[in-house]
Amino acid sequence: MEAYLGYFLYLLSLLTVGGIYAIFALGLNVQWGFAGLFNAGIVGFVAVGAYTYALLTTAESTFHIGGFGLPLPVGMAVAMAIAALIAGLIGLVCIRLRSDYLAIATIGIAEIIKLIFKNETDITNGPRGINKIPRSWEHFSEERFYTSWPMSWFASPEQWEAFFASLPNWYWQPLFAGTILLIVFIIYKMLERARTSPWGRMMTAIRENEPASRAAGKDVTKRRIEAFVIGAAIMGLGGALFAQHLRLIEPTNTFDPSKVTFLVWVMLIAGGSGNNRGAVLGAFLIWTIWSASELLIAGMIDLVGAVFSTLDPSILATRAGFLRMMLIGILMQVILQRYPGGILPEVRPASPKAEKTTAGATGETK
Amino acid sequence: MKKILLATAATCMATSAMADVNIGNPMAMTGPIPDLNAPIAAAVDLAAANVNAQGGMFADGETLNIIRADSACDPTAAVDAVTKLINVNSVSAIVGPVCSGATIAQAESVSIPAGVVTLSVSASSPAITNMEDGTDLVFRAAASDAYQGVALAELALANGFDNIAVSYANDDYNAAIAEVFVQAYTDLGGTVTANEAHEPNKASYRSEVATIGATSENLALFSYYGSGGITLMRNALETGAFTNFIGADGMLSDELIEQIGAENLMTSTFTTSASDDSTPSFAAWKAIADEAGVPASDPFVANGYDATFMMALAIEAAGSDDRAAIAESLRAIASGPGEVILPGEWAKAKEILAAGGEINYEGAAGNQDFDENGDVAGNFSKSVIVDGAWQAELIQ
Amino acid sequence: MWDAFGFEFVNFYLIPGLVLGCIYALGAIGITLTFGILRFANFAHGEIMMSGAYIAWTLMTLVGAAGLVIHPLVALPFAAIFVIGLFLLCDRWFYKPFRKADTIKIVIASFGVMLIIRSAVQVIWGPNQIAFVRGISQPNAVLREITADWGAMIIMPNKHIWIFLGTIVLVVALGYLLNRTRIGKAMRAVSDSPDLAHVTGINVDMVIRATWIVGGVCATAAGVFLVMDTQTLETTMGFRMLLPMFAAAILGGIGKPYGAVFGGLVIGLAEELSAYPWIGDTPLLSPGYKTGVAFAIMVVMLIVRPQGLFKGRSF
Repeated sequence: MEAYLGYFLYLLSLLTVGGIYAIFALGLNVQWGFAGLFNAGIVGFVAVGAYTYALLTTAESTFHIGGFGLPLPVGMAVAMAIAALIAGLIGLVCIRLRSDYLAIATIGIAEIIKLIFKNETDITNGPRGINKIPRSWEHFSEERFYTSWPMSWFASPEQWEAFFASLPNWYWQPLFAGTILLIVFIIYKMLERARTSPWGRMMTAIRENEPASRAAGKDVTKRRIEAFVIGAAIMGLGGALFAQHLRLIEPTNTFDPSKVTFLVWVMLIAGGSGNNRGAVLGAFLIWTIWSASELLIAGMIDLVGAVFSTLDPSILATRAGFLRMMLIGILMQVILQRYPGGILPEVRPASPKAEKTTAGATGETK
Repeated sequence: MKKILLATAATCMATSAMADVNIGNPMAMTGPIPDLNAPIAAAVDLAAANVNAQGGMFADGETLNIIRADSACDPTAAVDAVTKLINVNSVSAIVGPVCSGATIAQAESVSIPAGVVTLSVSASSPAITNMEDGTDLVFRAAASDAYQGVALAELALANGFDNIAVSYANDDYNAAIAEVFVQAYTDLGGTVTANEAHEPNKASYRSEVATIGATSENLALFSYYGSGGITLMRNALETGAFTNFIGADGMLSDELIEQIGAENLMTSTFTTSASDDSTPSFAAWKAIADEAGVPASDPFVANGYDATFMMALAIEAAGSDDRAAIAESLRAIASGPGEVILPGEWAKAKEILAAGGEINYEGAAGNQDFDENGDVAGNFSKSVIVDGAWQAELIQ
Repeated sequence: MWDAFGFEFVNFYLIPGLVLGCIYALGAIGITLTFGILRFANFAHGEIMMSGAYIAWTLMTLVGAAGLVIHPLVALPFAAIFVIGLFLLCDRWFYKPFRKADTIKIVIASFGVMLIIRSAVQVIWGPNQIAFVRGISQPNAVLREITADWGAMIIMPNKHIWIFLGTIVLVVALGYLLNRTRIGKAMRAVSDSPDLAHVTGINVDMVIRATWIVGGVCATAAGVFLVMDTQTLETTMGFRMLLPMFAAAILGGIGKPYGAVFGGLVIGLAEELSAYPWIGDTPLLSPGYKTGVAFAIMVVMLIVRPQGLFKGRSF
């Protein structure tokens, strides 16, 4: 029985992390899928969201500035706002750069953001990071929450303590996973709405034929910045949830571009860029492969060790992690070449009036 | 895809179905410090091998399995790895994460909520001391930097350095110990002439060493040898910016001799939280390690052995691999009263425990008595080059 | 003038900056050519550089086992052959399928190649550091004597002299290739205007192959020079060099090899000089921000003058 509970909890953690990555992928989809902006600095916006949330919601601490102990939703909202603000500033100066140039500029900016978090030790505790970040639902069982309003209004601390003691220690896990899935769903619905709205169709037009859109009197730069900011705000929210999930963030390894930026790109491209459903599917699929492949490779090594007993499996074991990265790299190449449009390719929204005439042209790209 | 999932499920079933004792061991296999990690992992395996060779776990001689996962020194990877260890592999306890950041993240995010004991092999951040609220689940077999930094400051003054320049790698471990060192050193009356971070893993540190080298003859270097430490040291020696070097255990490695050459390290002193080689514990460990070809004096290698051995003792003393009882018995076996157990003496410990007696493990890296925060005080030794090899001498 | 200020400045900041700059420059040549001719940012370039250094080390060890000690520069050409093969294979398998597709596809593919090559090196050689050359390098005595007689003592180990000479030889050879040979002129033509080049009947496949060969030689040289300087081999060193090399390529102007050389030297110097105590006794910029210097230059350049100093192509 206990084993099944374990599998259930692991499934929940896959949904949790997969959901967080789905949020990143949806944010990227607004920037790349809708507007064609090659943002290769995802990790920068994620880090801004995570740090904002962490500084605002943690209890007062001597290690970093504040620990302002604000309510969790406030932290998440401000995380979105700050990420959006920074994206706006970057957008104003960088948005006119084309494809690869924007990519390289955003990589550079993301690295600079990380360096600032790393070196401004008085504010962020530098490379040691911020810990004890409150996690939604689980935080209710922390003393500083149930002894203060609004929880103290409902019951005394003793009653709360007894209540939490009566719950299984994993009570928050389904709730946290559920919350994240709900957020993914809400963002998905909103983006679907935006995609089929005049705004979304204008985005597609700008992406596909910029001069024509300009000639038609559209403010291309402004629309681009809008998409950049909205995408970054979504990434900032994802960053706040990422911080909740990890409960400790530090600038170097948590925000490693090859594990955030790159992975999110793979998710979007594999799932199907331009397609919100594809972004979500890609995120869950790739994260499951990423996470479960470790178990698989461990099993394979045991097998190799058992079959070829002369081989020293310890060498294999120390290098298994690298083998895993290599296989993921190869898998990605296969997906890229086999499914050029992703697993769920983009479906163009047709305007209600012209539905019939544009139906034939949806397959065309560039 | 389906096949992969099936195979995964099959492997999981296979591992959890065995009636063995499983300990999860998330290590920084990939990530920034694989060099530091490899000998520690070897020491963990060695401890498990010793246990299994001397009768295994419990009365029926169950096998002690080390289930290794990759925490990559990265909170994301560590949380994911430990989630799998606890939920899928159903391990009884965690011996592991090497880096402080990964240790805190996995403990706060996964293992404390799940009620699983963590015994870290090398997390030395002072932040771990006050991490827990009302639980007693996180222990470590390596002393906090708060101790080592002070020991190093005293050593620097004892060596006659009344001024010193500090350069530390900007990562969680080195930044923490440098801060403690600077504080202690100034409190004791020394002058810190420069205190600068350096970015790990750069190709050249010549300008850094030149700039801070203008202020003092002596350098306190806090860095991992594998991620920039050796380069910085080489640059400092080549430019002649410093004559004397002092540092903590991230730098202490045979690799340093191998790469820079013993003849160039005659003015270097590094402390480590282990290796009081006058004790019988260290002698016992040295014998075991030498036989197995594990580098006995490398950073945290002895701690890795101690952590695994202690966790096995705790599970044995608890009488079952049930997660709840392990924390308490970990405290019991680590400190007195009781018969002293040295590294490798599994059969003897097993016998005493079976007879209902008490034991006190005296580890290779120190006496490993936990305080109320699950920290150990630890001995410190200074290592200098004698005849082309590191020789450690106890200082505290 | 020379005694305090000049001696320190030249020996501890300027020369190290130039050494680093040479390595960046050689790496950036390959990046800028790929960017200009194949029109994508090749993220795998750093890893290919790193694998070249590993191959050179392996050759030296194999030959060393036979009792023969060879200089890294002797192993370099052989390593370069291997690296060129690797480049061409990558191109055949991973880049060619996307030649006509969106740029993003090929960039993501190159990111994947980066992962594959790095992990392959880590699986084969292990993740641990390997000592390339033991010990510390003493300054070249002859040079020190001569310059000391002139009143401006230069302290420079042999390895740096080799790196300077090697870079100069390669850059001169590259200049000859690009300006005097048919294939070189074709490469420049494709880089300047691919459509026009196509119309004039230039064999684009041949040009692409030549690009990989030139880029491969320079990348191997950069990798070998890097390990000659640091004296250790490490699997992550390629990625660490990648972004500064991008910065160098952008600074010089995409598709402009000489611009890349200049950009590399500027980035290398800027990184080392950022820690110079220009004002007071403390470093101008905390060395913790050293990595940021290259990025900052790159971002500012992109915003202010995306075509680079040497009027490269801007998309």
